[in-house]
Amino acid sequence: MWEFFARSLAASTIFTFAALGELIDQRSGILNVGIEGVMLFGATLGFIAAQVTGSYVIGFLVGIAIGGLLGLLHGFFSITLGADQVVVGMGIWILGFGLTTYIGNPYTGPLGMDRIPTILGLSPFFYVGLVLVIVSWFVLSKTSLGLKIRSVGENPSVAEVSGVDVTKTRYLCVTVGGMLMGLSGAIYSLYYNPVWNYNFLMGWGFIALALVFFSMWNPWILLGGSLLFGTLWQLSLNPQLVLPGVLSRYIWRTVPFVITIGVLLIISTKWFRIRWGAARPEALAVPYVKE
Amino acid sequence: MRIGRYEFKLEKRLSLTGWKAAIISIFAVIFALALFSFIFILAEINPLLAYREMFSYAFVNPYGLPLTINRFIFLLLCTSAFIIPFRAGLWNIGMPGQLYAGALGAFAVLYAFGVKDFRTSDLSPGILIPLMLIVAALGGVGLGAIAGVLKGKFNINEIVVTMILNFIAFWLVSHMIKEGGPFMNPGGRGESFELPSSLYPPMIMGVPFTIFLALGVAVLLYFMFAKTRIGYKIKAHGLSPAASRYAGISTFKIPLLVFIMGGALAGWAGYHYFAAVPGVYKISRNYGYFGDLAFYGIICGLISLGNPLAAIPVALLFGGLSVGGRFVQGQLNMSFGLDYALLGVLMITLVAFQFFYRYQIGWAKTGEERLDVGVLR
Repeated sequence: MWEFFARSLAASTIFTFAALGELIDQRSGILNVGIEGVMLFGATLGFIAAQVTGSYVIGFLVGIAIGGLLGLLHGFFSITLGADQVVVGMGIWILGFGLTTYIGNPYTGPLGMDRIPTILGLSPFFYVGLVLVIVSWFVLSKTSLGLKIRSVGENPSVAEVSGVDVTKTRYLCVTVGGMLMGLSGAIYSLYYNPVWNYNFLMGWGFIALALVFFSMWNPWILLGGSLLFGTLWQLSLNPQLVLPGVLSRYIWRTVPFVITIGVLLIISTKWFRIRWGAARPEALAVPYVKE
Repeated sequence: MRIGRYEFKLEKRLSLTGWKAAIISIFAVIFALALFSFIFILAEINPLLAYREMFSYAFVNPYGLPLTINRFIFLLLCTSAFIIPFRAGLWNIGMPGQLYAGALGAFAVLYAFGVKDFRTSDLSPGILIPLMLIVAALGGVGLGAIAGVLKGKFNINEIVVTMILNFIAFWLVSHMIKEGGPFMNPGGRGESFELPSSLYPPMIMGVPFTIFLALGVAVLLYFMFAKTRIGYKIKAHGLSPAASRYAGISTFKIPLLVFIMGGALAGWAGYHYFAAVPGVYKISRNYGYFGDLAFYGIICGLISLGNPLAAIPVALLFGGLSVGGRFVQGQLNMSFGLDYALLGVLMITLVAFQFFYRYQIGWAKTGEERLDVGVLR
């Protein structure tokens, strides 16, 4: 049971990192639907780098770096060129899905390195994730930088008039957000499941995206949501722990996705929608053009 | 920006004619292929040679051409499934799920008539094949309708929903065809039972009849968008859902309708690949590959700017490229996934080229004297 608990926390950490990255993006008004693509890139290149150099640190750094680069790319298209952010996000996702399948294929198989040691029996990244949640909550709601980020996400033209550099702030957010997504992918392929296989993520990024909507852009709710989904994901892989022999293991794999749709339905209820509408960054996915 | 004696500046396009859009699209494809040649160069292969191999296998070779045509039918159906919601301003990226549902529907008909156990059927193919088509469409409709209702009624982001439905449908297919699932092949190879030869679809010169389905749908859609009231409503919804609601266009019915239509077409794509392509005739073990290929439908839809007729040549080109990519990968001993890489490169190039659909680069010759004044704006 402890084992299951520890694995669930490890899984939820991946959701936390990716969703936190997306939350920072969205707080500044940029919607990135390509989380899964960024994660795939971070996971694949991090995996290759770690395997080639034999160093976990380099693996994670590469994952973070490629995530940041893809965040910048997304930023360039959606901030500088003012393109439709949904299209750009889809582009990033399909680019990640397509290119990593090709790049990673020669490295198919297990990583073949010593496991990263746990701290008090739990994934070390869980503690990092906890710290990041606290930091991002603090920065977003208690500092002047957070105020800038939120004002840029709510009403960029007003922010611009009051002296905030919209472009710079948004670039900062997409880069940091991308780094977190890339890191989350690297955690998946270097710690959670250190085996490379084609398109191994199978929906983690999209669940993370749904989690951000669910969290009402609050890092604490996001942490709760990712704990829930980490546990669910782990349950769907090991259904025998709760209901042995009921339904095939393939049906169980659909459970996290079915529940995601249920969660999205809950968000759409009136009670939720009023609060959701208030919390939603007003300028989300709207390109900003300086007049 | 100024280069030499010319001053360049970006101008927002006020309108975009069909021809200009076509030229931009062609440039986008050429640019993507040029970009993609870096992958060949990195693998130390002459890109020109690789492209020649790709195109000649896909469009000339007697083994490659039928593959291309079958891939083209599949892609055209997927593209239409993408285009209909796209014109309504909605993103259907659920073609994989919808085509899995369609394939399950088609095989459910066979299962219901006991084809699995007896390998033959009393019913004539004249009844069963249309029935398979109908149920395949209904399977796709079922999945599409979920996304449509969730969007129209509850305003839930359709991208997340359709993508999540893809994963659900993916695992459902696994459940049905693997480890004792109802559609499992008696031989137990992780694939479905095979279609009896009496139910092989009618062929016209070696091409399944589904080509008429795909082409007919494309033509019908063109007329629907150009001439009919419903097409007009879909387009109006695409331009502005809020404004169209004031004009009395239902923001519930239109999303539901476009996703139902899209789902039905993706369901047919599923029927086509798993029950009409020669040599397959079953839900194969690598069915996920065909789901991934459906994403080419997004690219075709974007390049053709949602024009169903323009999608025909585009789908033919990409059908050929994906077949040829798979071929040269084996021929030149390259790593698996060349067709996936092409998918990725094409997509990001298209995203970059979206810019040119909205802006154009204007230039003017600057006079010598203006250099001194330095007016750069």
